[in-house]
Amino acid sequence: MFEELLEDIAQKNGLREVNTYLKLAAGTGAIILCLLSSSYIAPLVIAVFFAFAILFLARIDVKTYAELFVVPLWFAIMSVAGIILISGGNEIFWHWDILPSFTLSVTRESINEGALVFSRVVGGMSAMIFIAFTTPMTDIFVVLRQCRVPEVVIDLMMIIYRTIFILMDQVIQIYHAQVMRLGYSRWKESIHSFSSLCGAAFIASWDAGDDLIRAMDARCYDGKFALLGENRPVERMPCLAVLVFLTISAIVVIVSGTIPLI
Amino acid sequence: MSSIILEARDIRYRYPRGMEAICGISFHIRRKEKIALVGPNGAGKSTLLTMFNGMIRPDSGTLLFDNEPIRYDTASLRMLRKRVGFVLQNPDRQIIAPTVYQDVAFGPTNLGYREDEVKEAVLRALRQVGLEGFGRRPPHQLSGGEKKRVAIAGVLAMDPDVLVFDEPTSGLDPTGSEDIMELLDELNHDGKTIIISTHDVELAYPWADRAILMTGGSILHEDIPEVAFGNLSSVRTAHLSLPTLLELHMELQKRGFSLPGKKPRTVLDMMHCIETLFETTQGPCRHGRITVCNVDQDSRELLLEWLSVHKGICTGAMGTRAKQCAENAGIHLDFTYSVIDKCILKALLGDDSLILTTESMVKRVYLRVDAYGRESGSRIPVLLLAPEQKMVHEKNGSEP
Repeated sequence: MFEELLEDIAQKNGLREVNTYLKLAAGTGAIILCLLSSSYIAPLVIAVFFAFAILFLARIDVKTYAELFVVPLWFAIMSVAGIILISGGNEIFWHWDILPSFTLSVTRESINEGALVFSRVVGGMSAMIFIAFTTPMTDIFVVLRQCRVPEVVIDLMMIIYRTIFILMDQVIQIYHAQVMRLGYSRWKESIHSFSSLCGAAFIASWDAGDDLIRAMDARCYDGKFALLGENRPVERMPCLAVLVFLTISAIVVIVSGTIPLI
Repeated sequence: MSSIILEARDIRYRYPRGMEAICGISFHIRRKEKIALVGPNGAGKSTLLTMFNGMIRPDSGTLLFDNEPIRYDTASLRMLRKRVGFVLQNPDRQIIAPTVYQDVAFGPTNLGYREDEVKEAVLRALRQVGLEGFGRRPPHQLSGGEKKRVAIAGVLAMDPDVLVFDEPTSGLDPTGSEDIMELLDELNHDGKTIIISTHDVELAYPWADRAILMTGGSILHEDIPEVAFGNLSSVRTAHLSLPTLLELHMELQKRGFSLPGKKPRTVLDMMHCIETLFETTQGPCRHGRITVCNVDQDSRELLLEWLSVHKGICTGAMGTRAKQCAENAGIHLDFTYSVIDKCILKALLGDDSLILTTESMVKRVYLRVDAYGRESGSRIPVLLLAPEQKMVHEKNGSEP
């Protein structure tokens, strides 16, 4: 499954040993810059930077990166198409009056708007994927605790994180058992099979919850959850790289100003 | 006589709205014993085990830990659970934290240890089970055997006196099972009392000091394995099978061969039986030598140099650290389980062998070889690893 794949990659990527704060700073900083930019150029530049970092620094293979990128890209393309058709403007290239009060039109302004939104999505996605590929959840827990997020929330997150993989495993097993007995051969059957899959998954998770409490009790649970508190030290080179990256991106944001696509 | 650590007096338990799971059981377990609870599925083994650390409270009867009745208030239960570690059958159900380190640290943290004490306990436990350097790995990326080890480390970190294992080898491949059983032996050697439940007769038979056969919620037979498993009717009632070695021994007896000594528990014992039976087996006049390398003391260079002189020698490793040392040095291991016995078998064939082991277990090699020597009259030399053949330090006492 993809979720497991992502965590596996994150545990082994080339930037695993870089300080978590630096990676998060690069990612979140880039997302903020993408949102601040009023031109389509800056987010695309940021996306190129991240593509480079992911492919060459974190050493993720192109296929995995492309596969992960394509999924949200479809959403982006569809929503951008909607934006272009619906939002209006002065310089109309094409229009179609479906209803008296509702017109679909393509205008210079709407195309520019669409391009900006699209490039923001691409830039933001690159930053998100960069974080997902380079920073395992376990490192993020450490950062969350250092940022004073309430313990209850972190403990819950950790238990959920641990349980997801077990539950996922069970769901896959049940699904396979159903497929083997032709549970999804017809439409009606697949609805039925899916509903029983959900039911079984619910019961399994309930059971797992019971077992969890027992396992914790057996080891003297007293409301405390140990946390691996170490973070890699901030090294000069990565720190410099993040600074340079954010500065260049900020400059591009400022310089590109409001340059439109057309 | 060794002191009793766990005792049950006529305990009964019925699941809510269910069958009676435990119907009147009494037994006792001594310190540093290896106990195997053996029985078919649904015999009440797991239920009984979960009573040992107070997870289930018997409806009637008394359970005593360290000669005091178990009390069920929160503080007493915490103390009990610190001293009786419980390892569940499914490690996925036992491992709760997102990384190995955090999971092993769970117990010590909740016992209120300081941070550096927690760290020390975790590192010690991980070293004991041979998982050094796994701290940051998430459990779902580990293999079944590794997960089991993490679960064991999580319990070991609390430094319990008694370790309770529910089906320790279920779901593991044969090598994985042997490794876990070897680990249990090692822990027992370090002074822990070990209780396992299993329906694998072959596994329990050579391992246990005492076996408790259970069926239908009560004890059928409780004795040393040779006797407990030798009782054909109990074994059949408990839906078990005879251990192969015992069956072979019985069949030989039925055919009128008089077999000396005790019933065989290992292949070595069986070989001894058969050899005394046929007498004709002369075997080579010279027995092979067993060389012992203490990986805590002897340097890797010395070991590799020795191995380069003795090319192709059969090598076995005993104990987690010894196995790790062999792996690091790239030494091929022929034996990883019941190493001493296998080396004695080799020696009887006239072949030399090498045992890698740790400080605390060196003595065990001598004891076992001496015991075998006394019983069979064959003298097998045991040597410590030494750089030169001339400096060999022969150390086989006991024989006049």
